[in-house]
Amino acid sequence: MMLVNYIGSFALVVLGIYCMVVKHNMIKTIIGMGLVDYGANLLIVSIGFNAGGTAPIFSIAELDPSSFFVDPVPQALTLTSIVIGACTTAMSLSLVIRMREQYGTLDTRKIRRLNG
Amino acid sequence: MTTFLNNFPILAIMTLFLGAFLTSLVGRRFAPARNVLVVLSVTLPLAMMLALVKPVLIDGEVITYWMGNWAPEAGWAIGISLEVDALSLFFALIVTVAVFVSALYSFTYMNHDDSLVNYYTLFLMLSGSVLGLVLSGDLFNIFVMIEIMTFTSVALTAFRNQQEGALEGAFKYLAVGSLGSTCVLLGVAMIYSQLHTLNLAQIAALLPEQAENPVLLAAFAFLLVGFGSKAFLFPFHPLAADAHAVAPASISLMISGVLTKCGVYGIIRLCYVLYQNIDLPFVQYLVTGLGTVSMFVCVTMAFNQHNFKRLLAFHSISQVGYVLAAVGLGTALGLTSGLYHAMNHTIFKGLLFLTAGAVQHQTGSLDLDELGGLGKKMPQTCLLFLIGAASISGLPPFNGFASKWMIYQAAFEKGAETGNFFFVAVCLVALITSVLTLASFIKVAQSVFFGQYNEKFGQVREVPLAMRLPMWILAALCVAAGLLPELVQRYLLTPAVNAVFGVANYIDQAMGAGYAAAHGIVETALPELAEIGCWDPVSWLVLLFCFTCAIAIVALLATPNDLSRVPVSSAREDGEALDAKYEPFFSGEESVYSQVGGSDLFWGFKHNWRRYFRLMHDWHSGVVNDYTLWAVVAMATVLAACIILL
Repeated sequence: MMLVNYIGSFALVVLGIYCMVVKHNMIKTIIGMGLVDYGANLLIVSIGFNAGGTAPIFSIAELDPSSFFVDPVPQALTLTSIVIGACTTAMSLSLVIRMREQYGTLDTRKIRRLNG
Repeated sequence: MTTFLNNFPILAIMTLFLGAFLTSLVGRRFAPARNVLVVLSVTLPLAMMLALVKPVLIDGEVITYWMGNWAPEAGWAIGISLEVDALSLFFALIVTVAVFVSALYSFTYMNHDDSLVNYYTLFLMLSGSVLGLVLSGDLFNIFVMIEIMTFTSVALTAFRNQQEGALEGAFKYLAVGSLGSTCVLLGVAMIYSQLHTLNLAQIAALLPEQAENPVLLAAFAFLLVGFGSKAFLFPFHPLAADAHAVAPASISLMISGVLTKCGVYGIIRLCYVLYQNIDLPFVQYLVTGLGTVSMFVCVTMAFNQHNFKRLLAFHSISQVGYVLAAVGLGTALGLTSGLYHAMNHTIFKGLLFLTAGAVQHQTGSLDLDELGGLGKKMPQTCLLFLIGAASISGLPPFNGFASKWMIYQAAFEKGAETGNFFFVAVCLVALITSVLTLASFIKVAQSVFFGQYNEKFGQVREVPLAMRLPMWILAALCVAAGLLPELVQRYLLTPAVNAVFGVANYIDQAMGAGYAAAHGIVETALPELAEIGCWDPVSWLVLLFCFTCAIAIVALLATPNDLSRVPVSSAREDGEALDAKYEPFFSGEESVYSQVGGSDLFWGFKHNWRRYFRLMHDWHSGVVNDYTLWAVVAMATVLAACIILL
């Protein structure tokens, strides 16, 4: 069942990379970066998921070997990684806004003063 | 006693992050308070790291700190740990020294800029994240620190956003860098899916049992590419070039001296400690090959450059290539020389970037075609630049010589031991690269400090003492590390190498005694180092003889011509038949000024290699999509190779 998630997550990563490589509009490049991030997030959440498991909220007294719950660590990791992804998007968008002012274009092929 | 010292790693990281917070809080109103805060926040971590030298480097202890005292329970690491062994401390010392010097330099260097509060806040966050990275004992924390490091360095790259190209360089760095970070994240996720732990020590204990697991091999590939991207290895090097060209010089020092070291640290941890697969020939070929390609491609790219700092950036990656090539050999000597060169690279590259910054600060220009004859105006900067240039080119008695010698020796010995021509070729490429580095720096010295001066810069003066002092500190370290390789080796390198090879001890210190043995990790005998030949007296005598001969020949044959007294413009107005010496030094394109007599020297070389140079020039197109494509191709290749061949 998790196989669908794994395939989906790598499909997202590949689509994002495709977007970053092929699209010359900087906004679309940033969307590609976002997709790569989402793919990675989906992968981590899927790793921690146990079908039929409960939420991992227990006190020490309630905890016994028979309790079956989803792995809480990947969820914490995903939260961190989502925040980081949001930062990446915000930061790159702010750079793009300033670049649009300076260069007057969003085309990556025209924004190449640093080359060679 | 040691219980108190145990808190130093976390305190050092916290000081920097807290400093960043307080700087933005109070620094907006009171500039002096801000400066005091910055000085305090960079000095305290340095002092703490120095205090750890005795227990960790000399006594060989491993300091483990569990956050919130969540110690391992029943053989499972639940909490987040900081684990400081000699390798971590070695890199932490590099980081804190570089941060200290960079902060000192910033106070005067940045005085032409505004919104300095933001600068120092980001600077301290960057410092805190790199320190956190090298001291961390938790894989996910390493990822988080890498991300903070990437963000802050991107923001600092774009700090002078009115300057041409600053935003562009930052955007490329962020876009392709985020791909590298995602690689690290995917690697971390895959390791967690198989081993259900993020603690480095526990991963190191559990991994070798499942060495054939394809998911873990994929994770290895992803982590290698991710850390490689943070070290700006080929094919990620254009990012470094773009970022360095536009970033303030103090940040260039951080990017080249500190950030690339984090990538190197990550690769050492990955190959030697976590996977312990550096003995496999494939891993050796992969890491050494990556390093060798980077070192050669980047040094040839440097020949094309007209921007001072962009040129230095390519050399920086070239030197990181040396480090990786040495680390990938997998021998004790290889690792020692790699660490030695990593340390030296931070010192001499930092010095060179700071001299470039001094030139930029005084003239406002980094254009090699425009600058010239500054040696008379800025004698100390010129001298410092020459020390740095001699170090990076591997001239004795500076530090680059000693570490490069060790790298050649390590590569050659490896080749002789295994009878494999590959490693001999690595040694040869390293030698050629060193020669090309020297050639390239002769060009820079000629275009910036000697040759004809540009009348535009007639009023240029020496930089103030506050900027010279950090440069002199680095220059003194260059000489000290070059003259005393045995001391450096005994107190810094050998403990770090022993820590790397003593994986069992690293695991036991974190997870409790006997944990490593229970998982089949046995204590290996510490490697014996071969004799290092770089301070052999006979070779010094030969060198002295050659040197005297060279000076005698130059003194006898040279005709006195003091070009630095002739301004460029008058030479140009004299007549249409300009001496071929003063023609632009590359590719025949017209430029306003040119004072490189050295163009004669490299013209033949460049002409014969013109196809290669043109190809490389076209490849480095400056389009972010192309760079992404390179990164993806590298990722796919390494991934496929790791899964098929390992």
